[in-house]
Amino acid sequence: MRKIERFSVLEYFVRSLFGILAIVLLSVIMLIAAIFLLSDQPLTSIASFFAGPFSSLYAIGNMIDHAVPLAIGAVGIALAMRSGNMNIGGEGQVYAGALVTTIVALALPGWGLTGILVALAASMLVSGSVATLSGWLRERWNVSDLITTFLLSNIIILVVDYMVAYPFVDPQTNLISTRFVDPSYHLLIILPPSQLNIALCIALVCVLVAHLFLYRSRTGFELRMVGDNEEFARYAGVDHRLYRILPMTLSGALYGLGGALAILGTYHATIKGFSAGMGWNALLVALIARFKPAAIIPAALFFAYIDAGARSAMFYSDVTYEIAYIVQAVIFFLISSSILQRIALGRRRV
Amino acid sequence: MTAAVRMKSITKIYPETQKRANDQVDFTLLPAEILSLAGENGAGKSTLMKILYGLISCDSGEILVHGQPFAHPSPIEAGKRGIGMVHQHFMLVEEFTVTENVVLGEESTAPTGLLDRRQNRQRVAALIEKHHFSLSPDDRVMSLSVGQKQQVEILKMLMRDVNILILDEPTSVLTQLEIDSLFTTLRKLQSHGVSIILITHKLHEIKNISDRVAVMREGRMVGVYETAEVSEEDIARAMMGDEGLSVVRKERRQLNLDPVLSVAHLSLIRHNQDHPLLDDISFTVHPGEILGCAAISGNGLGQLESVLLGNLPVSSGEILYHDEVLTSVHHTATTRKRGIPFVPSDRLFTGCSLSAKVSDNVIATSRKRFFPPFNVSRKEIESYTSHLIETYGISATPSAPIGTLSGGGIQKVILAREIERIRDLIICCEPTWGLDVNSTAFIHRQIVQLRNDGVGVLLISSNIDEILALADRLLVFSRGSVSARFSASQMASLTKEELSPFLLGKKRMEVEGA
Repeated sequence: MRKIERFSVLEYFVRSLFGILAIVLLSVIMLIAAIFLLSDQPLTSIASFFAGPFSSLYAIGNMIDHAVPLAIGAVGIALAMRSGNMNIGGEGQVYAGALVTTIVALALPGWGLTGILVALAASMLVSGSVATLSGWLRERWNVSDLITTFLLSNIIILVVDYMVAYPFVDPQTNLISTRFVDPSYHLLIILPPSQLNIALCIALVCVLVAHLFLYRSRTGFELRMVGDNEEFARYAGVDHRLYRILPMTLSGALYGLGGALAILGTYHATIKGFSAGMGWNALLVALIARFKPAAIIPAALFFAYIDAGARSAMFYSDVTYEIAYIVQAVIFFLISSSILQRIALGRRRV
Repeated sequence: MTAAVRMKSITKIYPETQKRANDQVDFTLLPAEILSLAGENGAGKSTLMKILYGLISCDSGEILVHGQPFAHPSPIEAGKRGIGMVHQHFMLVEEFTVTENVVLGEESTAPTGLLDRRQNRQRVAALIEKHHFSLSPDDRVMSLSVGQKQQVEILKMLMRDVNILILDEPTSVLTQLEIDSLFTTLRKLQSHGVSIILITHKLHEIKNISDRVAVMREGRMVGVYETAEVSEEDIARAMMGDEGLSVVRKERRQLNLDPVLSVAHLSLIRHNQDHPLLDDISFTVHPGEILGCAAISGNGLGQLESVLLGNLPVSSGEILYHDEVLTSVHHTATTRKRGIPFVPSDRLFTGCSLSAKVSDNVIATSRKRFFPPFNVSRKEIESYTSHLIETYGISATPSAPIGTLSGGGIQKVILAREIERIRDLIICCEPTWGLDVNSTAFIHRQIVQLRNDGVGVLLISSNIDEILALADRLLVFSRGSVSARFSASQMASLTKEELSPFLLGKKRMEVEGA
């Protein structure tokens, strides 16, 4: 029998919160240790790392702007994971969403808001379909979604790279990039001079809707039932096959949306490899948030803060951006091992 | 004579609950005896044995093993002292062979430092030979039956020269034949000088196998008896305290209404099986009666449940709810969609979601009522759950994960949930499996109450006492087919002895449909 320790709900909450905080704290300690090892002027580096992201409205705005696609992607991951599915193809799905939006915007110049909506819908449709395919393969032939999402993502990255480098390349720049979309497609900036734009509102809405969907709707309830115990869900008459596909569709669509908003809000063109890391980082954000929508906002902000800190430290002192990767790796390691959380919950064995 | 184990004034308080799981418990195990440690769920018997095996430490008290103090117990130390424990849920590597499992940690190695496969195999084969187990050293554990896996666990202990063997609920997963063979093994071990402790709450097994029985209740040792000198009722009374045995009394009802559930010529054939898993099963359930389906496990009850649940497609035949076809060759799984109340036999993994809240488990089978299709407030859900908890006397809070409840508590939640949706039919599979006497009595009362209220009850159970106490009519299954049918008038005088040849498949009744 699986042992389940007896805790009050509050105690359970506090202990799991402690687990997360311990992970965050440990990774920050690792970061400081790494800076002392790598930097000749460690105090300057540390100061610019931690204070840099808050040095100006411009820095703050850009930091939050970076958190937006991560949060949206993480919401998708949370939906997939809570239903017992896996979507680790975020890299390709974000990239595809970005390219599709760019293509629509370039094809329909001057359409304004209508064009934006069409572009977002198209990117969600394409990325959602890709993830749906993985869900369907699992439902139909029990092919591991872990493998199909990852492999399909790699293919998509290569296809998008080709599209950006050849059919849609802008010959007038030195970058491998598409042309820029026209200004009627640019999202409204809400904190000038930074790039923070109304995509932030969309991210907040996504989080809120996902929360209500999971906890306040029948479909969300059934989705969680399937994720918690598929056997039980089947017994209770839930169509478990639907929940192998629907959450995948949603997670793919949200990745696509994240990529699309990054284009319309921040980059305004698909630059080759611009989104590298976004898919993985969104997965990491979802992991830190333990797949709870409400926790995704702070998790995404923390993640963006580490990223901005590394950029700032790179700019003002002698450390390189790779310092951020060290922190990310530490977090990834700690979370996937879950040791701290398990110790905090008093579980030695599962 | 030195006692094999002597535990003196053992006290253990769990910090999480502040509950005295063991309160000044004294316990003695004599050399080469079989002792049953009896008590209801939560009486403290597992705690006491975990302390002896070194899995947890006690707050105060003293332990002597063969007269020597056992000061710093741990499973490793316990192993050195010759104490072994077979857990209720086996700790085996499924992909390994019997040999590999048995020698794990005690492997013979060749001079090169590599595993000496031949010698390992020989050691295990010799041990199997000595104890007459029905195992081959080269079988993979995953291909073994539950009874054989238990034998592998016991072999592991024997390989380590265990002379004090603790078995936690060893019979809960076994068929009657496997239980008989386990008891033969235990007696043989006893004759080799091994002292054995059986943790159990099955009264007839206590009577059957043990020399002495130690009874615990609410963390205290309430009595130690020579088994020959006490009756099952005496032991039950000691286990339950003053509440006494609540006997379920039945008032028979004769009702001639149309059946609520009809199963007609149901067969289930699998190509790799030499006989049908279900062979031309027909029966009807009428309002206001309990139809019992009894069998020794492994004779088709599990398949019948799977078919009723819609987990297995049938090969022929159909299942009707009133006149509506629920399951036939053409469609399955509609039983659950139709929302027929169902208490599944596997309560932990089919009947509930352990990590989900009690309230979420309670509304899981009436989702449309609570999410039509949205519900912004959880108040209704919480208050409905509180209402059920109160009505059925379950000790739980709505927001606690259901996995934190006892087995009896979980089953009460499942039963309450299903009873609340009843229209005229409920299907109950092994409803009291592994539960203590009080929870069992509670569930039996509920089932009889339902029948008296005019509900049709299909009771599928391998617990023969339960079937005899509850069923108005009875079907006996053997090797997937119906070997006997007993009508309401025959049930009144039916005894276990009359039933057993049909259960064992030694006799079959030739009767027209019932």
